[in-house]
Amino acid sequence: MLFKLAFRNVMRQRRRSLLTLLSMGGGYLLLCLSLSLSEGSYNNIIDLFTRDHTGHIQIHVAGYLDRPALHKRMQQVDDWLPPMLLRYHIKAAAPRLYSPALAYGEDKSAPASVIGIDPGREARTTLLAKKVQQGVWLPNQVNEAGYWPAMLGFAMAQTLKLSVGDELVLISQGADGSIANDIFQVSAIVGTEDSSERMNVYLPLTAMRDFISLPQGIHELALLVERPADARDAAQRIQEHLAHRVPQQPLAVKPWQEVEQGFYNGMQADKQGTYISMGIIMFIVSIGVLNTVLMSTLERTREFGVLKAIGTRPGLLFRLIQLEAMLLAVLGCVLGVVLALPVNAYFVHHGIQLSQGFDMGGIRFDRLLGEFSWFTMGVPALVVMGSTLLVSVFPAWRVARITPINALQAV
Amino acid sequence: MTTAPSQTEPQAQGDILFDIRGVGRYFGSGDIQVKALDDINLTIARGEFTAIVGPSGSGKSTLLQLMGGLDAPSVGDVHLNNKSIAHMSGRELSDFRRDHIGFIFQAYNLIPVLSAQENIEYIMLLQGVPAAQRRQRVQAMLNTVGLEGYADRRPAQLSGGQQQRVAVARAMVSRPSIILADEPTANLDSVTGSALLDMMKGLNESRSMTFVFSTHDPKIMERASRLIHLQDGRVVEDERRG
Repeated sequence: MLFKLAFRNVMRQRRRSLLTLLSMGGGYLLLCLSLSLSEGSYNNIIDLFTRDHTGHIQIHVAGYLDRPALHKRMQQVDDWLPPMLLRYHIKAAAPRLYSPALAYGEDKSAPASVIGIDPGREARTTLLAKKVQQGVWLPNQVNEAGYWPAMLGFAMAQTLKLSVGDELVLISQGADGSIANDIFQVSAIVGTEDSSERMNVYLPLTAMRDFISLPQGIHELALLVERPADARDAAQRIQEHLAHRVPQQPLAVKPWQEVEQGFYNGMQADKQGTYISMGIIMFIVSIGVLNTVLMSTLERTREFGVLKAIGTRPGLLFRLIQLEAMLLAVLGCVLGVVLALPVNAYFVHHGIQLSQGFDMGGIRFDRLLGEFSWFTMGVPALVVMGSTLLVSVFPAWRVARITPINALQAV
Repeated sequence: MTTAPSQTEPQAQGDILFDIRGVGRYFGSGDIQVKALDDINLTIARGEFTAIVGPSGSGKSTLLQLMGGLDAPSVGDVHLNNKSIAHMSGRELSDFRRDHIGFIFQAYNLIPVLSAQENIEYIMLLQGVPAAQRRQRVQAMLNTVGLEGYADRRPAQLSGGQQQRVAVARAMVSRPSIILADEPTANLDSVTGSALLDMMKGLNESRSMTFVFSTHDPKIMERASRLIHLQDGRVVEDERRG
């Protein structure tokens, strides 16, 4: 009966209820779309960012990221990596070796970050292979002339005035203290002048070992997990696993949020801005809802007097008003879902093309994408219903506290 | 039989339903204080068909409201079945009204979004009466007030007389100790009003239901077994009829 009474009361002033539903539905739509675009775009950014180089999780010898050094290497990786990949459902893993070097072109030189990669595993882990602008993705063997191939970042190639097929000279210090120097042939130029690898030089891992006289060990392992959002938990579990499995090596397993803390913090700050705008939307919607609920209770004061006079407890009247407000909220959300579904589907598949893209952590984004998930569809509903419940507390409290004699004398 | 003002004849304790002791209801304070009721001492016995009469502003409705727990006295106390209602909490008063009082208002005051049947059934829901019993009692009550074919009609689809019959049914269906009716015939034509009063008098006689009216209506006064005359907030005459 309470539900029947609430429903009929809502349907009583159809025009006003319809306007409130439109306001709630509109609020839901705006919340849903802003959340969808925000989450979709951030997830896209996270995906592009982590797939660009970082991966979802990175493993190093403890302290390497704070102060990189040639000797801080992970050893016997082939012993513990394969079972770990299986156990934690790691999608891909890319081993890397790093060394600073001086790179020479024909008549130019520049400091370079030389990275030894396993071309096959790197291509499965990051998007580096897709960033090849000229030439071919790094072959894992010496060419016919007996040179190992090298892949240059776009800015490095420009600085050294090198093209595909040209010779590159690298000079560095070997792990054994010797002078490391060798000639490589440029096989590809990757990225753009703004991208993160612009001043990098990539060598096959075998070539890198020869170059810096480092027959074994790696500096970094970049891992891809099923869901970037699970990276923290997975890193924690892997850390515990490795501490048990490889106790002789102090390894640090970090999710991308810690490896790229600056990028992550910037993104979180940006998200806060989105939530603040969502709060403003909900505040405006809530004022409309409060107005409706308050009007509807004020004009029924006499009825509440009757209900109280015949024995309705204050608590039941409180629940009646909240139920009426919640009915409006649920119907408003249904309307909002109906409106949001097609628009959100469009954003998920086509997104919004930005006239001017923006750069985030060296990666360029030119499209805002939507996301369809329980989070983007469910949270707006919870927010609409929660705020409705909240703003209906005052009118409900007022009705519950009303004295029947005063209410019965109301016009 | 007529008694002195503000003095009711002692009754056997078991028969007394309402005991109103030294009740006053004052509005305002100091020089502008208005005494709507002053020093009211009354008892209402079970099965009475009582009319409280008096000119407008004499305090009839205020007295009814105090008896029904809709308002609290400024001084004195009201007892129902020897239980004081003057100091009950809001929730206790709700339960008191639900279980002991049946109200009939001048303006009918039915819930407009509920049908006749639902209006009658509502109070039984509050009492926790099982569904089957509720349906049975609603049907019986509709038969009693002569509205068998009007169960599904909403108040707006009923005439004034029919609405007041639903209000009577609503007041009686919870099996209250007393029915308080505030000018129940004021908005009805004389034929409808008489029919309604005959019905209530019949229920009083057949089921020993206690009715207290506040009224100007001579038709009610004719049928009443007791007339309590109020003037300026005080009982000036308490007249019992054989």
